[in-house]
Amino acid sequence: MEPENEKGKSGVGLLDRVRGQVREQVPVIKDKVKEEVESLKDPEKTQLYKSVFRVKHDDTPRNRSLGVLSNVFLHLHPAKINRDAVRFNYTWGMGGITFYLFIVLTFTGILLMFYFHPTKAEAFRDILYLEHDVPFGKLLRNMHRWAAHLMVITVELHMFRVFLTGSYKRPREFNWVVGVILLVLTLLLSFTGYLLPDDQLGFWAVTVGTNMARATPLLGHEGPLGAQLGMTAYNDIRFGLLGGSIVDANALLRSYIWHCIGIPIVAGVFMGVHFWRVRKDGGISGPAPVALESEIKPVKKI
Amino acid sequence: MSTEDKTLEQRPVAAEGEAKSPPPAKPSAPPAKPAAAKTAGQTAGQTPGQTRTVGGKTTEGRTAEAPMSKMRRRVVWACIWGFLAANFLMLLRFFLPRTIFEPSNSFRIGFPQDFAFGVDTKFQQQYRIWVVRNAERLFVVYARCTHLGCTPDWKASEAKFKCPCHGSGYDSEGINFEGPAPRPLDRAQVALDPEGQIVVDVGRLYQQPKGAQTQFNDDGAFLRV
Amino acid sequence: MDWSQLWEITSAPDNVPIVAMLFLVPFFTWYGLRQAVANDRLIAQLEGDAQLAKTHHRKTQPWRPGWAKELHVWPFLMRIEFLAAVLVTVLLMVWSITLDAPLEEPANPNLTMNPSKAPWYFLGLQEMLVYFDPWIAGVLMPGLIIVGLMAIPYMDTNPLGSGYYTWRQRRFAIAAFIFGFVILWVAMIIIGTFIRGPGWVWFWPGQTWDHNVQVFDLNRDLHEYFGITSAAGKFIFGGAVVTLYYLVAGWVVHKLITWNEFNRKIYERMSLIQYLTLQFFLTTMLALPIKIILRLLPIHIKNVWVTPWFNV
Repeated sequence: MEPENEKGKSGVGLLDRVRGQVREQVPVIKDKVKEEVESLKDPEKTQLYKSVFRVKHDDTPRNRSLGVLSNVFLHLHPAKINRDAVRFNYTWGMGGITFYLFIVLTFTGILLMFYFHPTKAEAFRDILYLEHDVPFGKLLRNMHRWAAHLMVITVELHMFRVFLTGSYKRPREFNWVVGVILLVLTLLLSFTGYLLPDDQLGFWAVTVGTNMARATPLLGHEGPLGAQLGMTAYNDIRFGLLGGSIVDANALLRSYIWHCIGIPIVAGVFMGVHFWRVRKDGGISGPAPVALESEIKPVKKI
Repeated sequence: MSTEDKTLEQRPVAAEGEAKSPPPAKPSAPPAKPAAAKTAGQTAGQTPGQTRTVGGKTTEGRTAEAPMSKMRRRVVWACIWGFLAANFLMLLRFFLPRTIFEPSNSFRIGFPQDFAFGVDTKFQQQYRIWVVRNAERLFVVYARCTHLGCTPDWKASEAKFKCPCHGSGYDSEGINFEGPAPRPLDRAQVALDPEGQIVVDVGRLYQQPKGAQTQFNDDGAFLRV
Repeated sequence: MDWSQLWEITSAPDNVPIVAMLFLVPFFTWYGLRQAVANDRLIAQLEGDAQLAKTHHRKTQPWRPGWAKELHVWPFLMRIEFLAAVLVTVLLMVWSITLDAPLEEPANPNLTMNPSKAPWYFLGLQEMLVYFDPWIAGVLMPGLIIVGLMAIPYMDTNPLGSGYYTWRQRRFAIAAFIFGFVILWVAMIIIGTFIRGPGWVWFWPGQTWDHNVQVFDLNRDLHEYFGITSAAGKFIFGGAVVTLYYLVAGWVVHKLITWNEFNRKIYERMSLIQYLTLQFFLTTMLALPIKIILRLLPIHIKNVWVTPWFNV
């Protein structure tokens, strides 16, 4: 304690005291700063990093399993699969490729939506605008269109492969049915998208298609027994699809909504069921051990 | 039966009854690298790119990789990240179209003689402007409140512009005197075309910011009539 | 041989997928059947030797005792999926940079293009419009195709071939499917793309697409050859013809289903409903090429059954 005189001031002086304390603290602070700068040199050790990113794990079998099972995007997969099932010449990879194309189409489709107005006055113009005045617009439109065609091809090849390997047999019958539904949804997505540019190609393709709808039995005004049920051009199923009796503004808007929202949601739901059923039914069907004719069990009579 | 994980890259070694299947087309490059890393005790005479191990074991950690594989890996990852980065930049650029279709900023409003002294609201609906004329000059006020951008109303009975949004008030020449407006109403560029018609350009505005040099006396901010 | 016409058709950007299909479908058919043959060889080997059947590894893919039967999805399957995604992306981008998506003139309800074609995956249906009423070609047949596809797992009582390629063990099923998919569906798409020209007229590959060609099709309904004119007569006659067709075709299909010992074994496992459903779909499927042939033959049959409400 410094000696105090009557006025209560310390003998050494306030300023000196402060200066002394600062002198003490400076090296301490300097060390702290140096420590923190050192720690920043390894960002992977910071709290910020560690809270966001996973830690690198040793490559053990357990960790390999966990890498899939504890990953939100990957955990649809099992931890392990049959060693032969990874071979391209069994599955052709078509199912996965179809799903990947669906994702590509969703992504490119959403980007295209930023520049597309689904009205008669603007739809066609917007496609031209995309192709000429939007940077990478042409590339995006092309990618969307070709991915769509490719997806129809891969979905059909997938169906073909599943048939050839008999992967629709028990217990996978229902998954095959879901697959057929997805095939129809894929074709419908393609069909509704076809009209959107509002060009001659799309317009007449949809005209021909919906004209077939008016010939539906019972529900179409030109189909068998349709007229008898009171179907006219203004209330039959074709009218319901187009929102009118002609392929016009309403048809374009409905096509747009089916294409961008309605069918993708339905397809998404069915895809969820389809992938889940694959797991539930025992994973990828093969290649399975070959069975012999002599090993066929007789049908269980109920 | 042991539970070792054999490397995937087993070339068929005289498998019974198997037709000559071609080696799976793609995974010769990528799988070989971690495979090369995972197996210890590789049989002699193997190149890093191809594994023909029959007795490999997975190790708990990584063994030293051949430098070639490491390099190849880096190149592949660099390509992938580069591709994604390029696409990301393309994505950003995509949102900025090269041309837009918006109404023109420049238009004609008639002859100076068409306008009496005072405030004329004839073009407020069509062009968002008021034409103000006094003894010395004619100028065009842009009808956007300098507070947050609403369109004020001209109250002829009170001889002021009053903004309904937050109550900013401007006098008959657009000078702010009440409310939160930070400065007077901006004025649009005016000129006379060869015929003598007034040409207004709301793309070029003149301001009188508080505490700064006024632009209201600049060329183009008003017409001398 | 008009090569430029042929090139014009094959190089049209929207036709590129079909040209790709011309290669992909035969390739994958061959690819799958190749493995089927390999598997069949193994099966024959195992069937010949009961001891071998008990001990031998039951796959054509290589395996040694001591090898793990399963692989971790990470990294092995994930690597392959990632690679597939990369390859598909590269293919798609190169394709999108080189070929432009088509955009014709703005929609004009008063001017139809010639030829006016549906998207390629519907060309099969559009081709069927030539031979059938719109509602049959556009609603009934597609509906039957979809329902028929869905019904396949429930009609198939053959327990063999589940999870591996085979030909010998599933000859009937595979032949039927390839017939329906490759020969009917894909071939109709190819016809619709390359053969059908302006006015939906038949042009062989290499023929120039002449917009002014005159085609005189003298199509007759079947009852005309028999001199039946009354409405009731036509109705009964047509009904009889269709019934007769189903009976004859049903008999032919039955012969195929019970062709050999193995087929008969499978046939015995079928319930009545399964059998009738299978019969219905197969005979109806066969009706399509038969109707096409009837149209193309010199007798040029347009309809076999004419009623006031529908024609077949």
